[in-house]
Amino acid sequence: MIKVTDLHKKIGQVQALNGLSFAAHNGTITGLLGPNGAGKTTCLRTLFGLLKADSGSAEIDGLNVVSQSRQAKQQLGLFPDPCGLYERLTPREYVQFFAQLNGMAGKDAKDATDEVLSLLKMQDIADRRCQGFSQGQRMKTALAQAIVHKPTNIVLDEPTRGLDVMSTRVLRDLLLMLKQQGHCVLFSSHVMQEVAALCDQVVVIAAGRVVAQGSPAELCLRTGKTNLEDAFISLIGTDEGIAA
Amino acid sequence: MMNLFRTLFRKELLDASRDKRSVMAGLYYALGTPVLMCLLFSVLLKQLSASDELLISIDNADAAPALVQYLANNDIRQGEGADAKAIRLAVSTDFQQQLQQGRPATVIIDADRADDQLRTAIQRLERELGRYNSEIATLRLMARGIDPQLMQPIDVQMQDQATPDSRGGTFLGIASLSIILTLFYAAMNLAIDTSAGERERNSLTLLLSQPLSSLQLVLAKIAAIACFSMLGLVVILLVSKFAYGMVPWQQLGFNISLNTDFMLFTLLVGLPLALLSASLQVMVSFVAKSFKEAQTYVTMVLLVPVALSMVTTYNIAPEYLQWLPIAAQQQAMIGFLKGSAIAMPQLLVSSLLTLAIFAACSYASSRLLKSEKVVFGL
Repeated sequence: MIKVTDLHKKIGQVQALNGLSFAAHNGTITGLLGPNGAGKTTCLRTLFGLLKADSGSAEIDGLNVVSQSRQAKQQLGLFPDPCGLYERLTPREYVQFFAQLNGMAGKDAKDATDEVLSLLKMQDIADRRCQGFSQGQRMKTALAQAIVHKPTNIVLDEPTRGLDVMSTRVLRDLLLMLKQQGHCVLFSSHVMQEVAALCDQVVVIAAGRVVAQGSPAELCLRTGKTNLEDAFISLIGTDEGIAA
Repeated sequence: MMNLFRTLFRKELLDASRDKRSVMAGLYYALGTPVLMCLLFSVLLKQLSASDELLISIDNADAAPALVQYLANNDIRQGEGADAKAIRLAVSTDFQQQLQQGRPATVIIDADRADDQLRTAIQRLERELGRYNSEIATLRLMARGIDPQLMQPIDVQMQDQATPDSRGGTFLGIASLSIILTLFYAAMNLAIDTSAGERERNSLTLLLSQPLSSLQLVLAKIAAIACFSMLGLVVILLVSKFAYGMVPWQQLGFNISLNTDFMLFTLLVGLPLALLSASLQVMVSFVAKSFKEAQTYVTMVLLVPVALSMVTTYNIAPEYLQWLPIAAQQQAMIGFLKGSAIAMPQLLVSSLLTLAIFAACSYASSRLLKSEKVVFGL
């Protein structure tokens, strides 16, 4: 479970987060939806402890990300944007490295790596260096890294960018499987279809604050629109920066 | 704690060792420098031991046949062409007359003293003229029945303590300089790649989001880079051993031979320097905002070890410099090669200082990684 409370963060002259509060629960896929520059990435970076909030707090499974950062981070799997691959390592080495960083011992890390590589159907590229990978292969590698240590909470920053239909389906199935297993899945996106198809809960962000939270159906109902896209536009009051 | 460090260290080693270009760029220095030095030394030695004959132009030589004969006996002759030095010795027209009357007879040396290539030749000419001077003076005193020893109130005797090996001071300095600087050049590209490069490839933020402390991360990076520095040191020592073996040292009566003891000694005193080198360059690269900026800054910072090593090589270091990192270690290496006593207090103090700087730079880097500005290169 991920919970952020009244986050404020100013970056340069921009008030990136302005009293942001929401919660994402276990066994649920929560979508962080907002136009470009709404504060999605800033919010996620604060969650990873990369940025320090000016005020407010973020908790992962009840652990404060600042004061109990190491324990909190162990409960967290990250799929960042950009992917942050090591071009000179193979996916197997890369994924195993992150498994070990998250406290898995040699043998366990190796088994977990094998498992996640076959789960994502990556055996054919597992021992090739990441240099020259296609966007889809990069995304899969990053995804494997995020879930290899089986964290309770999985955070994905724009996970569908650049994926072809096949890969998008793999990702979708994977997220649903994680949800079934009781994980808390939080992802940021500005792609309506993705959010509408996957999310149980949608948190709509604009200008650093939550403007609405609820299931896609609830949001449509509340705004009197028939689809999420129209509901979203009506909620944030502009159609700027939204991909169909 | 240790497991995390080991995981990080292994990954850094693996990643760096696959970065063939950076590794080779560092090793080219270690491979090439001794060969270059070997050629340089050979040319220098050839120049130093070149034929003893000094050709100059002598004006009005007929006026001083005895002087010209004396100089010729000491291989200083009238000559022309490419071998002749640009030194003109002008004998005054009344030279013979003045000499006969026991008055100073003038000769003029016309040459450019600022010309380095002429300096030793001019000194040699002056020395021979001085000897001729005192020879004539001695004869004159004897002719007047005076003991010429009266003219020599002090008898200066030089007892040369120099052993053949200790004579090659500058050569030893240059050789040890090239060896010590490997620790810095072999690390340069890797240090920039693992810090500024890692940030530019966006993997730094992902790493820092993992449950680890930034100090562990920094130390693992430094340890991996230091390994490559030490590899460079081993390579340059081995190549130097063979390259310097081919220089015709015997012409100068000394020898630079890098034996196993010296190599082990150098690896020992070099280890703290490798840590300093890696931590310093990593810190500077993190301070820089981009890869290119890091390259510029690191190159600038590397002037400091070069300068420290230079003043040691040319023996122009003030006393306190001999206590500083790099200078003291190099001094110890030169001492070891010369077979003279090694200044242990200086070496110990500077090694401790070296480790202190390593600790300070590592800590500073770990602090830098807590700054949003540094991590995102803002």
